[in-house]
Amino acid sequence: MLSVLSIVCVGLILLTLTSSLVTAPVRNVAGYIVTPFQNGINHVGVWLTGQFSGFNDVKKLTKENEELKKQVSDLTQRNNELVQNQTELARLQELYNLDKKYSEYSKVAAQVISKDPGNWYSTFVVNKGTKDGIAVNMNVIGQGGLIGIVTEVGNGWAQVRSIIDDESNISAMAANTSEPCVVTGSLLGMENGKIDFSGLRDGDNAVTEGTSIVTSNISDRYLTGLLIGYVSEISLDSNNLTKSGTIIPAADFRSLREVLIITDLKQTKENSN
Amino acid sequence: MKRKLIILLILWICFLLQTTVFSMIDFLAAAPNLMLILTVSIGFMQGRTEGMLTGFLCGLLIDLFYGDVFGFYALLYLLTGYFCGRYSKIYFDDDVKIPLILVTVCDLAFNAAVYILRFLLRGRLNIIGYLRNVILPDLVCTLLFTLLLYRLFYRINHSLVEKEKKGRQSLWIRD
Repeated sequence: MLSVLSIVCVGLILLTLTSSLVTAPVRNVAGYIVTPFQNGINHVGVWLTGQFSGFNDVKKLTKENEELKKQVSDLTQRNNELVQNQTELARLQELYNLDKKYSEYSKVAAQVISKDPGNWYSTFVVNKGTKDGIAVNMNVIGQGGLIGIVTEVGNGWAQVRSIIDDESNISAMAANTSEPCVVTGSLLGMENGKIDFSGLRDGDNAVTEGTSIVTSNISDRYLTGLLIGYVSEISLDSNNLTKSGTIIPAADFRSLREVLIITDLKQTKENSN
Repeated sequence: MKRKLIILLILWICFLLQTTVFSMIDFLAAAPNLMLILTVSIGFMQGRTEGMLTGFLCGLLIDLFYGDVFGFYALLYLLTGYFCGRYSKIYFDDDVKIPLILVTVCDLAFNAAVYILRFLLRGRLNIIGYLRNVILPDLVCTLLFTLLLYRLFYRINHSLVEKEKKGRQSLWIRD
């Protein structure tokens, strides 16, 4: 037993001490059989090589190495913090700009805490609820545009259905002509980052690629003039009257972290008296 | 009793993970359906009743926080648990192959049900598109996690069942 182990050890030492040219073909063949162990074996080899080549100043080097490693981890840590701070700053600055843009509304900032567990819907939950003055049907903005609408609310949480959700329908209008249309979320469209719109009357061909689409003044749940996105494709429907196509949403739904909830509700016949 | 509490705890952790970490990881093409894995595992290991109960609780949690038709997911998961429970007496539960097959069947059926009841009825006819972009990524991800998680669930459940049996023997009660 001992002899077998010794032979293995010596064999390993020899294999690692001689140049990798000798071991490379062996490893290649062995790799197919023992890939999981390869990494560990390699570590042993490197360790042994180190023992032999730098035996004299190994203590000094180890000490120095340890110090440097400590320094590296310290600096990495600090660097990470800085990078994180920077991205956070950028995000918050964007939010701040949006806040100024829609300054006539009062808003509450909230953080996205979880997402719909399946892959069919695009709803998420934020960490503000009734105790922060959130109510159902409040509009949610962020990342430069409309995000969605509050559909359910609890004491410390609110569920938001985003505008890209397949069951979301928004009464919208083209920003330049004020002609109404309907913006529909689309699960398949979002694979390419697009949602659909339809029923737009555009006799003068004023709506082109890049025209902004905003929420309509006749919507009963969405406040007027919130930016939804920009027209990406537009085509005439078969009825020769209306146009439909796709929109690229202004907000980036991939990286939602913070959102703003507008606490003003749209004025309707029911809540105005 | 202790075993049931621990299963509840696992269920809760799965739900938390599924709604936070896994839903937000971008490189996963789809979020793995941990709740489905748990339901299938418990159903397959413990039989109809517990499978049904686990599934029901899983669905209820999702309905509570995310469903707009309350009870929809509870029903789907309940049926999943029951379906898998039927096989607990036919096959041994120490092999991961049967759960993999069961997860495949259940995941496909589950997503087909969601598609037909919630999308097809609204006139979304592009079945191939939904299959390729939603159902298949979901299936692959869920299967991958089944491979990892089933063993874990199995070990936890097995050790707990053993303990339960010992406790029963000491009380002179045999079943």
